[in-house]
Amino acid sequence: MSTTPRVSSALPGEPPHFGSVLAHQPDIAASFFALYGRFWGSDVLAARIKEVARMRNARVTECGFCRNVRFDKAVAQGLGEEVVDDITDGYETSDRLSDTEKAVLKFTDALIHDPELLNGDAKAALQRHLTPAQIAELGLGVTLFLALAKALITMGLEPEAMDRTVLPTPAVLEAAE
Amino acid sequence: MSAVCAALAADPVLAAHYADFRGKTEAALDPALVALVRQAVAAVHGMARAPDEAGLDEGTRLCLAYARRMPFEHTAITDAEAAAVVAHLGEVGFVAFSVLAALADAECRAELVDLPTLAEV
Repeated sequence: MSTTPRVSSALPGEPPHFGSVLAHQPDIAASFFALYGRFWGSDVLAARIKEVARMRNARVTECGFCRNVRFDKAVAQGLGEEVVDDITDGYETSDRLSDTEKAVLKFTDALIHDPELLNGDAKAALQRHLTPAQIAELGLGVTLFLALAKALITMGLEPEAMDRTVLPTPAVLEAAE
Repeated sequence: MSAVCAALAADPVLAAHYADFRGKTEAALDPALVALVRQAVAAVHGMARAPDEAGLDEGTRLCLAYARRMPFEHTAITDAEAAAVVAHLGEVGFVAFSVLAALADAECRAELVDLPTLAEV
């Protein structure tokens, strides 16, 4: 895995990072940030649940950038580091993660790793804990988390080192609505 | 329609945003390349036949070889492999291609877990 950017920044004076590289394609960038803001701005599925899935994806795909970023809305909803630490192999036995979060993690593993993991029990648990609208939103989120992480990694945008960073949760751009 | 769009049927605003993102990504590349990349990635997942590469130029074949690495070998792609695709598509094209290949993989996976049925009301 390369930490040497494979694409230059399209924004003068900024180093290559996901936003500055995506700026080579302004239409894609604008559409993506509108989508991501709408996704995180929706409260159909709590930000904490979305962040649990994002953290799992970050670990499985080995995305160091994703792994070190926290969104403030999820932190405010109680997603502390002691909980994040349990989002690793063996999460099923965690006493800090809720049953809903464990069902979400199983679904996340199935989507990003092995669809066979979503067996009858796992599927039943997911549908017991989440409404259809919440599952749809979760599915969108995991699809985006996975695609973004792989695009970021393959464009060589992984940081060599990065501290844990709490960022404002992506929001709907008013001008775009 | 992608599995993600189908699953979002009850939320037309979010579905429209997703469809727009998907559409903008595809519109940035040659439609023939888009179709080949999607087919190559789907073939890795056992969801389609591998594209017939007879008659394709060397650059397109390089792109398809690269796209096939996305589902299970994304961390093993080398700087040299990436540089070869950049040389063929240019930096601007490579950005769209990277998003497309990654999105194609994720969408196949959403289909494999049958997301639309899971999200059915």
